Amino acid sequence: MSTLLQTHALTRRFGGVIANNKVNFTLETGELRCLIGPNGAGKSTFLQMLCGMIPASEGTVTFNGTDITRFQPHQIARLGVGIKTQVPSLFDGLTVAESVAIGAARDHLKADANLIANELIERLDLSDIDHREVGDLAHGQRQWVELAMVLSTKPKLILLDEPTAGMTKEEVVRTAAILKEIRVDHTLIVVEHDMQFVRRIASNVTVFHQGKVLVEGPANDILLNEQVRAVYLGKKEVTHA
Amino acid sequence: MRLSNSVQIAGFVLTALVLMLVIPMLVEPFTLIDLTLYLSLSILALSLAFVWGFGGILSLGQAVFFGIGGYAYAIAALNMGDTTLPFVIGLVLPMLFALALGYFMFWGRISDVYLAVITLTVSLIFFLIVNSMSGLGNKIGSVAIGGYNGIPGIPPLNVPFNPAAMLSFEAMYYVTAVFALLSYALLRWVLTTRFGKVLVATKENEMRAELLGYDSRKFKLAAYVIGAGLAGLSGLLYAIWGGLINPDVFGMAFSAQVIVWVLFGGLGTLVGPVVGAILIQMLVFWLGKVKLADANIVLGALFILFVLLIPAGILPMLRSTLGRFRKGRA
Repeated sequence: MSTLLQTHALTRRFGGVIANNKVNFTLETGELRCLIGPNGAGKSTFLQMLCGMIPASEGTVTFNGTDITRFQPHQIARLGVGIKTQVPSLFDGLTVAESVAIGAARDHLKADANLIANELIERLDLSDIDHREVGDLAHGQRQWVELAMVLSTKPKLILLDEPTAGMTKEEVVRTAAILKEIRVDHTLIVVEHDMQFVRRIASNVTVFHQGKVLVEGPANDILLNEQVRAVYLGKKEVTHA
Repeated sequence: MRLSNSVQIAGFVLTALVLMLVIPMLVEPFTLIDLTLYLSLSILALSLAFVWGFGGILSLGQAVFFGIGGYAYAIAALNMGDTTLPFVIGLVLPMLFALALGYFMFWGRISDVYLAVITLTVSLIFFLIVNSMSGLGNKIGSVAIGGYNGIPGIPPLNVPFNPAAMLSFEAMYYVTAVFALLSYALLRWVLTTRFGKVLVATKENEMRAELLGYDSRKFKLAAYVIGAGLAGLSGLLYAIWGGLINPDVFGMAFSAQVIVWVLFGGLGTLVGPVVGAILIQMLVFWLGKVKLADANIVLGALFILFVLLIPAGILPMLRSTLGRFRKGRA
């Protein structure tokens, strides 16, 4: 396995607040990594820096050997990084089919793009709603449409920010199945609060706390870790790795 | 059976073309002159309908390109005699100006209300500059800019490279009608292309388009330049229609009027703003004739009325009413 993504001392400040503080993070090709941590730990900010949505204050991001720290979101996307954001970011006025086809049309001619879009729509079981406007869909359906849009660009790395937020139990199970399916040919980083879901999908977990990496390791070990329990139960005086 | 987009566009354009060719045989010459004006202004309406309704760029000063097109044609045509090159200049100069202005706005990530204010300000700056260029000293070549009086005596188009063969007002009607139809067809076609679809997606959610790998700045700039070209075309046809162009085309009232056309007809449609432009211009002329009320006050009231009661505009409202009626009957 080779290193696909690496951050070095990645820092993001919002005025006096430090959302991410010198984060060193390494991800291997083909890995599925879950990022967990309490609210405000800096997980979403970290993902947003990786895909260029917000610029880093300090530090570097290297993707596939290229320093992408100062790259624009569209440049990072073209290198092969896709993101499904916490609140689905969609084209509300377009239909499901149009939305997915736009992603595919980036690197393909119209006929091929439509073919790719149709395959994805079927794969994610969205065929019944492919003609509907995205703005009219239920929350769970919107999450899957966004995932289909991200997949349509065939990214090497997919960032998923709380992909099961607001979903019913059945939808969570289905999302876990989808992720297991797509991890076969993609590298994934998943920010998630639902520990059951993390157990179900992840092999490796990174725990964020107060903008820093607290601890990393295999999911089962991490979820039993005393420090991690302390963070989630709100105990203080946690020592960072 | 659903017809393909290109067949639909071709069908619409052909029907409209036949109508436009038949109309001169049925109406008085004065009506034909009025129709020529409406058709030339329709192209300006189309330009803002495209830029704002499909590109999400609220260009409050779209009239600046109209004015540049009109002035550029007037100055070049009066200097050169032959109108072939002036026609091209009137079309291309607004596009070049839009390219420069748009570059700074879009690469500077200026959008929404800031962009609206900048574009309007640019138009007003042009108004002030051109308005103050009176006196014989302010000339380009042999043509005096004329300050607030503008430039009179603008020649109609001639047969390309044959200055002696000037077009009659009837021929100018046909030329304007063909350009209006071509402008509509061009935009309809553009919207079916990958560029058009990404442009609409960018309007819907710019960050998502970026996250899918599209440089939204390039798409917006291209749309802005296309819109400027159409506005320039409209401006030069307008200058030919009246034989005169003055700084009022850069003024606040005219810029606001164009916004009202689009809102009235329906943002997010192409035909709606054209209908808006024609109906509102007819209203403005009628108000001027009967002297019932100041046209700007009536347009302002209409603007408020539409924003509050029919924000989608006339055409989308008619469509949804018709849709409900059909559902009710089914």
